[in-house]
Amino acid sequence: MSLGVPVSPGVPVPPGLPVLPALRELLPRGGLARGSVLAVAEFGLLCLALLAGASADGAWCGIAGIPEAGVLAAAGLGLDTGRTLLVPEPGPAWPQVAASLLDGCELVLLRPPTRAPAQVRQRLEATLRRGRGVLLVAGDWPGAQVRLRVVTQRWTGLGDGHGRLRACCAEVAADGRREAAMTRTRWLWLPAEDGGVAVADPADIPFDLPAGSQPAPLRARAAVPALRAAGG
Amino acid sequence: MSARGFGADQPARIMVVSCPELRGAERGRETARRHERVIAVVTGFCPNVEVVEPGVCAFGARGPARYFGGEAALAARIVAAVAGLGEQARVGVADGLFAALLAAGSAPAAGSAPAVGSAPAVSGREPVRVIPPGGTAGFLAAQPVSALAGQDLAGPDLTVLLTRLGLGTLGDFAALPSTDVASRFGDAGERAHRLARGLDSRPLATRPTPADLSVVREFDPPEPRAEPVVFAAKALAGRLHAGLAARGLTCVRVQVLATWADGRESSRLWRHDGLLSAAAVADRVRWQLDGWRPGATNDADDDQHAEGGVAALRLAPDQVARATGEQLALWGETVVSDRVARAAMRVQAMLGHEAVLRPVPSGGRSVHDQMTPVPFGEKREPRLAADRPWPGRVMGAAPGVVYQAAREADVTDDAGQAVTVSGRCAVSAAPARLAVRGEPPRRVTGWAGPWPLSERWWDPAAARRRARFQLATDDGRAWLAVVQDGRWLVEAGYW
Repeated sequence: MSLGVPVSPGVPVPPGLPVLPALRELLPRGGLARGSVLAVAEFGLLCLALLAGASADGAWCGIAGIPEAGVLAAAGLGLDTGRTLLVPEPGPAWPQVAASLLDGCELVLLRPPTRAPAQVRQRLEATLRRGRGVLLVAGDWPGAQVRLRVVTQRWTGLGDGHGRLRACCAEVAADGRREAAMTRTRWLWLPAEDGGVAVADPADIPFDLPAGSQPAPLRARAAVPALRAAGG
Repeated sequence: MSARGFGADQPARIMVVSCPELRGAERGRETARRHERVIAVVTGFCPNVEVVEPGVCAFGARGPARYFGGEAALAARIVAAVAGLGEQARVGVADGLFAALLAAGSAPAAGSAPAVGSAPAVSGREPVRVIPPGGTAGFLAAQPVSALAGQDLAGPDLTVLLTRLGLGTLGDFAALPSTDVASRFGDAGERAHRLARGLDSRPLATRPTPADLSVVREFDPPEPRAEPVVFAAKALAGRLHAGLAARGLTCVRVQVLATWADGRESSRLWRHDGLLSAAAVADRVRWQLDGWRPGATNDADDDQHAEGGVAALRLAPDQVARATGEQLALWGETVVSDRVARAAMRVQAMLGHEAVLRPVPSGGRSVHDQMTPVPFGEKREPRLAADRPWPGRVMGAAPGVVYQAAREADVTDDAGQAVTVSGRCAVSAAPARLAVRGEPPRRVTGWAGPWPLSERWWDPAAARRRARFQLATDDGRAWLAVVQDGRWLVEAGYW
């Protein structure tokens, strides 16, 4: 285990905003440190999963600059839509919008519509340190304490003309500065078949690396005849 | 309808004031404001005025006409007073609202707008048409049946039908026995028949004189600093809320009007919906004053502000409505904490009311429909109920990326031919490549479908026939694609 703090379900929730249990090992101290910036390379389910844990715990979440955010998927991961604010188009005033949202929400997921100049970033980080919020950036943010990215992923459940998407196995890597400096990678079901996020058992990982040519839709057989019939 | 007024057998005399320029369905805020001023002027002559439709108002003329020396004199005074606002009015007087509306419509247009402030005078050129008492039946009989259109009856169908039946005028129509009309044309026809005979279908719903619910605080000497004004705003908001609550009312918006010592005014409307606390109203006053304070703006006026200060602050409720249980429930359940509401409203103040949204789970078969964004501060039910089964929706994991507008794509098979889906939902070949418009093509590693979906076939405008696919590509992502009208569209992405 690359992280100093062993994580097991029994330990009390660490200070900072909680995350889903499967994501704890990726983050220093097993949570989102208040006042910090996390950067996720690209918007996707990983961003939404990072929101879900804190939201389920009662935090308000803001999503700014991501009109295509799949809130339904986020709700499936555990996001409470009743405590979510969306600002799909913050426009050129996005730093002020993000700062305002951080006044009200503990966790703000932001995709800056334009590249953020260093001065703007520093001002926003100062706002962040004064408050108790966490800024989650979808995209690049040079000052981020933690950086996360999906290295590789594969969906299971789809065959050649049959089945349906069931679960996605993803390798997530995290690195960052100071205590987060060491790179950690974990295999996760994102989402798992039950819709949540789970740590993947190495035996279940549906690809033999390097990515093989045959997908392994082991679970998809049952649905085939009915779908074929519907397709005529 | 029974007669109104003193004599039981005397029909009601109705005066209609119509401003042709202010009529029409699409009325902006400016038009509404101009009409509001016209109504205020008319209310000066008779307090009980009904707004019939945008640009048209009506009132019972008997009493005011006696006071002002006759119907023609009253009409001339109103025309002159409305002309003083720069508006042109036409006035019609008759027994009953319908005849009065037609009379106003047929009043001669003013040759030229009377000079502002000119003394009221009755002349032949006034845009006034007075149908004398008892003459209404004759006046109506000569009108074409098309006059019934726009009377909120069965629509234009009835008038077209009457014309085809050879009933050219209201007089022809009125001559039919009412029982025959009722049995042939039903309820709408019977109401039209009553109108044609000069019997109004309903009494006037006059508009009560609105009580002034606004609250004012004057500062003497004018207050140059913002803090005392904001502090006073809090107390003012408390008084405003108490005044509204005592009448069982709430307001959709609140207008904050600050008057500066030099006479200039800063006015702004803020969304209220009965949800703002006194402190929240005070916050808005602060934001509004900040925009006018030195430092916030850059022109030379700032010095004058600093010298002059705020002389008066007025809070006026806008769009007052009866407070309903729903609003009270919102007051009671503090779902949104003050901190969050303040943050959201600040962003709304920056970007507009519709810019801050709350997602509400909703129904529907496409992933785009299953979350309805509702502007923050509003309570709106989604159009498609979430608690219905919605057969045909995509089951299983939800996509993390849902495009606002579906993206065009090309899907080809191994031979490079476009993959097509027949009307019987047969796929021409297995998809091998997916090229989302604007992105490099990807190899398809797994696919499922087509899942046919035929929605709203009963409504030609909204009907959609689609075949849906899930595609997995070699970069590990998966896509929700549809074929509609022979084109491939990507609706959502799974990553």
